[in-house]
Amino acid sequence: MSTAEAQIRLTAVNKTYGAHAVLEECNLSIQAGEFVVVVGRSGSGKSTLLNLIGGLDRPTAGVVELLGQSLAGLTEDELSRVRCRRLGFVFQFFNLIPTLTVQENVRLPMALNGASKAQGIRRADLLLRELGLDECGSRFPEELSGGEQQRVAIARALSHRPNIVLADEPTGNLDLETAEEVLALLEQTCRRHGATLVMATHSREVLGTADRVFTIRAARIHEEPP
Amino acid sequence: MNGLLARSGLRFYWRRPWQLCLAVSGIALGVAVYVGVDLANDSARRAFQLTSDLVTGSTTHHLMGTGGEIADSVYRTLRMEHGPVRAAPVIEAEVRLGRLPDRVVTLMGVDPLEESGFRGFSGFVPGRGTDLTRLIVEPGAVLAPAPLLEELGLEAGSEFGLLIGGETRTVRAVGTVLETSSADEGPTAPIIADIATAQELLGRTSLSRVDLILDEAEAERVRALGLPNATLVPAEGRNAAFDELARAFRINLTALSLLALLVGVFLIYATMSFAVVQRRGTFGVLRAIGVSRRQLLTGVLGEALVLGTLATTAGILLGQQLAEGLVDLVLRTIGDLYFESSVSAVTPSPTIYWRGFAMGLGMTLLAAATPALDAARSTPYTAMSRAALERSTRLLALRANWLALPAAAVAATLLLVSSRSLVLAFAGLFFVIATGALLVPSATRLLGRLAEPLAERGFGISGSLAARGMAASLSRTGVATAALSVAVATVVGIGLMISSFRISVEEWLTGTLTADIYVNIDGEQFFDDSHRDALSAIPGVRGSSQTRFVPLPTAAGEVGLRALNPGPDGWGLRMTAGGTEAVERLESAEGVLVSEPLAFNRQLQPGDDLILPTASGEQAFPVLGAFRDYSSNGGTVLMPLSVYRSHWADNDINGIGVYLDDETDREIVLEEMRRVFGAGAPVRFRSNEFIRERSMMIFDRTFRITEVLRILAGAVAFLGLASAVMSIELERGRELAVLRALGLRPRQVRALTLAQTGLLGLAAGLFAIPLGIVMAALLIQVINVRSFGWSMDLEIASQPLALGVVLALSAALLAGIYPAVRAVRVGVAGQLREE
Ligand SMILES: Nc1ncnc2c1ncn2[C@@H]1O[C@H](COP(=O)(O)OP(=O)(O)O)[C@@H](O)[C@H]1O
Ligand SMILES: [Mg+2]
Repeated sequence: MSTAEAQIRLTAVNKTYGAHAVLEECNLSIQAGEFVVVVGRSGSGKSTLLNLIGGLDRPTAGVVELLGQSLAGLTEDELSRVRCRRLGFVFQFFNLIPTLTVQENVRLPMALNGASKAQGIRRADLLLRELGLDECGSRFPEELSGGEQQRVAIARALSHRPNIVLADEPTGNLDLETAEEVLALLEQTCRRHGATLVMATHSREVLGTADRVFTIRAARIHEEPP
Repeated sequence: MNGLLARSGLRFYWRRPWQLCLAVSGIALGVAVYVGVDLANDSARRAFQLTSDLVTGSTTHHLMGTGGEIADSVYRTLRMEHGPVRAAPVIEAEVRLGRLPDRVVTLMGVDPLEESGFRGFSGFVPGRGTDLTRLIVEPGAVLAPAPLLEELGLEAGSEFGLLIGGETRTVRAVGTVLETSSADEGPTAPIIADIATAQELLGRTSLSRVDLILDEAEAERVRALGLPNATLVPAEGRNAAFDELARAFRINLTALSLLALLVGVFLIYATMSFAVVQRRGTFGVLRAIGVSRRQLLTGVLGEALVLGTLATTAGILLGQQLAEGLVDLVLRTIGDLYFESSVSAVTPSPTIYWRGFAMGLGMTLLAAATPALDAARSTPYTAMSRAALERSTRLLALRANWLALPAAAVAATLLLVSSRSLVLAFAGLFFVIATGALLVPSATRLLGRLAEPLAERGFGISGSLAARGMAASLSRTGVATAALSVAVATVVGIGLMISSFRISVEEWLTGTLTADIYVNIDGEQFFDDSHRDALSAIPGVRGSSQTRFVPLPTAAGEVGLRALNPGPDGWGLRMTAGGTEAVERLESAEGVLVSEPLAFNRQLQPGDDLILPTASGEQAFPVLGAFRDYSSNGGTVLMPLSVYRSHWADNDINGIGVYLDDETDREIVLEEMRRVFGAGAPVRFRSNEFIRERSMMIFDRTFRITEVLRILAGAVAFLGLASAVMSIELERGRELAVLRALGLRPRQVRALTLAQTGLLGLAAGLFAIPLGIVMAALLIQVINVRSFGWSMDLEIASQPLALGVVLALSAALLAGIYPAVRAVRVGVAGQLREE
């Protein structure tokens, strides 16, 4: 994979729900290691975009390519493999598995990739320490605050060394101070692990450190000048 | 506000049509199985009663003589001395048909004028008045069962021959009689004649008995008359053979009703409580925005009322359909077993529908109220939190464990005090099941914990997640597992009871039937010692046993006296009291043995005395012990033939058992034996194997209906619980979507779903095993002893147990299929967006 080639590329992507066009003629390419922010009002189509990139949804028209590979021809099974190996997700509502402990949640993507248990535990503990959660490994998600849960979700998204992390309003459910903290952690951790970060948000306050910023307006994507 | 609340409930189902379908069908199936089985049972019970009335009539007492005969004069004396009394003389004898010498039929002589109040069959005679007069005035006039005439190719009015005492006597069928007797081995359909005609045909002047309808005071007066050589016996004892069949059947049906009730109750509870519990979060939000507890409760109960009414009505209609098939089956079985085709459907009593309705609606409301009350009672915050729900469920499960203690105590108390009461015993059984059900949720959690490492090793991450899910979502899985366990345990328990009973009967037959060939002679004739000597002299015969059987009237009811001179292989007894020592003492003529039911009914212990009417008046016989006897529960007394002969001065023999050498050719010996009695003699030869097979066939037929109903209840439980498990699994959509976003493959998602339901089924099946065994033990050691006085050994056959586990597992796996397929089909993005 050469650096010149885009890691994520959308070509003439359209997504419509019935008569309602959410995304029209979207063209986008993101290089490896970039920190990209997608802004837009609520309902503008940010989640839709991220879902298309993550292969959770299929475009009505156009092509989505990840790491030089088009997702269009992939079966569900192959899509899962891509997600499992290459992608990490951070959701607005944390979406941790309630029946697994914090450490187990973090280990889950590694286990899905066939890592050994010992290996998983070692890396999970490392990540949790990095995110300031050393004490929480054996607790269940429900026993953590929102900020802590989102930090666990970040650890989970990075545990299997993905190429790309997709974060959909990861701070939307947190207070301002915590949001800043989580955001900084997310960015730093991704940078440290060399992962591309694509984050959707509706508040412009977090744009400071982003490499590139895209805005969705009237179903079209515009890149903001740096 | 309430309008909006209702709309929210309505939309909940509108959005999840599958949930609505599953809830309605779960409740409806629960009601249907209960109503269906109960309707079938009710009709069977009443059809049975009706038919039984036809046979035994409303007779309350019988006047009987020793040796099965009572003098004509006793009847006349009774009529003259006692004044107006409802009494009907009866003479009964077995005769053969001239045309079909192998067919034995009962010839019953009655007084047509006295009969009407006694037995129902005269009411079915066409052109009754004339026929009855013809019975009295025409010599040789009889009423014959229509099927018999048909078999002989005769119409009403034609003549046919009866073989009586080796002679052919001609009678004329002047009319038909309702067929009220059994097919094969049992008493056959009676031919009815006037008493004088019967006496003339049989060449005797005595009666078999006098049937009476008496109240207690009248019975006392009749006893006080001191009629010579006549004992007044309550009717129940006399018809013991019939009653015991009826009773066995009723117990069977009661157990099945219980099964259906349990299955129904648990099914409805599991279905409805889930429909409510999954909306606890919404309830929390509603409470948070100011809905009062009362409004919330009213809303949920209102919804349950609507849903329950709808589903219960559907269930009753379904149950009605079910019952139609079942009634047919039940009646056919009764007809096959006890009567020939005379049992017809009876309109069921409407209370069953009401009971079904009350059960269905009541359980629906209860099941909805429990989680709704819980949500209303807790703070809005805890109500919103799933974690808090699971925590409180774990607490509830713990509390349920403690509740199991008093439940077990109640069960033990009921079973202990129910020494003779069947109702209390059944209530005890119910509490035992409740105890088991209360323990299941905690056990489920424990099993989930224990299974996790294994599941992880076997199925990787999917297995581990599945095991986790089971332990962690007790609020959903607990009730469903308990319901599934109880249903399966009941199916297993009844299956074990039947197989145990079957094995015990088989063993008993093998032990009792020691001879190779049994020789019997028709009712009115007997063998004597010369026959025994002639049979024993046949080459290849190594010995013989002789039996004399006489019904003895005693004040507490009739008992069968069996006097036996055992063959070379001994008495063939399985002792239940007194041990082998009692058999030795029996042999040295120190007393008598009683059958187990007789010992139970009259509470006889070794060392007690039993008073029997002998030829020289009443005499006390010491009871040495009790032996197992499944052949009747009317009660049998066993004594050596020599003792009988010395007390009753009677040298007749009813049956001879012939023992053969190992290498003897049976056919040759049979040939020789036939020659001893001469051609055409009313003698029957039956091999050991024939009797055993016949007996087992009758056994299997008796329990066929139980089997069918058991399978049916199992099938309904299967469907209902599959639907309960399915709704639980469908609720996990979002969790599965997250896992898919993390990269869980479709195959793994399917495996996870199936592993989750499979584990639940396995858990239920495993808990059902001990619970089923306990149920079987209770049915055998408590219910059966209370009902029949029969003890039997609990045989833990592997087949019913395996069947139970397979049933639970396949119900659960079946339930997983649709959710597994659906979880993969539905878009991840859409599922994540939900809620
Ligand atoms: N499954 C769906 N059916 C119909 N419309 C949808 C669906 N999913 C999203 N939309 C619509 O697409 C638009 C974009 O939604 P979304 O991507 O979630 O916005 P954002 O994440 O920017 O808030 C919204 O107007 C929403 O109503
Ligand atoms: Mg969004």
